[in-house]
Amino acid sequence: MTQIRCAEVRQMMPDRVTGRVPADGSRDFEDHVARCADCAEELDLVRILFSGRVTAPAGLADRVVVAVRPRSSRATRPWWGLSAAAVAALAVGIGVASEPGPLGVAAGLGLASEFEEGELWLSDDGLLAGVPEFEALSDEALVELLEDLTSEIGGGSGGAA
Amino acid sequence: MSDAELVRNARTGDAAAQDELVRRHIDAAYRVALSLTRDPDVAADVVQDAFVKAFGSLDGFRGDASLRTWIVAITANEARGFFRRSQRRKEASLDAATEVASVQPDPAERAVTESEAARARAELEKLPEKQRLSVTLRIEEGMSFREIGSVVGSSEGAARVNYFHGIRRLRELME
Repeated sequence: MTQIRCAEVRQMMPDRVTGRVPADGSRDFEDHVARCADCAEELDLVRILFSGRVTAPAGLADRVVVAVRPRSSRATRPWWGLSAAAVAALAVGIGVASEPGPLGVAAGLGLASEFEEGELWLSDDGLLAGVPEFEALSDEALVELLEDLTSEIGGGSGGAA
Repeated sequence: MSDAELVRNARTGDAAAQDELVRRHIDAAYRVALSLTRDPDVAADVVQDAFVKAFGSLDGFRGDASLRTWIVAITANEARGFFRRSQRRKEASLDAATEVASVQPDPAERAVTESEAARARAELEKLPEKQRLSVTLRIEEGMSFREIGSVVGSSEGAARVNYFHGIRRLRELME
């Protein structure tokens, strides 16, 4: 029977405890620990340390995922996913606001007295929608929007001939 | 999917691959950051900065070491950089209850009580930095002494000595 020494056993402990080394074929290890109180004590400590290892706090992975994402993909959003502030500014400018009244997101931003629900489109997720926030648009989206607007303005003309 | 495949996809801007890499290695990065900073909030910031740095230089990852070792090494550097910047080391507040809350015991093993685990962690934090890090990386991350040396900035032999000195000291502290 092969006898292994304490030094070998101690080297193997972390891999044994964590399961990185399969338990089968390790009779020598088991026999040694059963006979050697010193190694048994150390194995116990390794086991305690491994069992007590911490994991990243909840939410940290999500935070990191957002942080590592390229800025371009974080900044770009569909043109209908507008910030309430942008809508508010544009809505005031185009005279959408009329009578005072409570209004979901806008009310939370202190805009309750400026808007009335029926005057704006509210999407299901509570975001205000309907007016583009140009800064967030990609070049392609801007071109597309411009084409839409152009076709609407020239709607009755039947387009370029 | 292997790390190598995920890295290949992440380099092309594949967000799903990036997400998977973060989730796969964030615990290891956090443990190392916590081991060095001994402050959960600082450790979380260090981890975030480390991943941003790692992903920013993903093209430079040559695959000589495993991705986990590479990320852990970057995290360790970030943690040391934090101390260099702040020029102070916050003493550990041994909030054992918080730290063992996420313990995932192996049911096949003898039940390790929370108090045992908390005490071991508290004693671990008393070790000198290189011993502490060597014990953490060897036991919690399963790294070889060669990998530990590359993270700690020492030779393989020094990593081995640091580990065994750390374990011996821990046993004395736990008696």
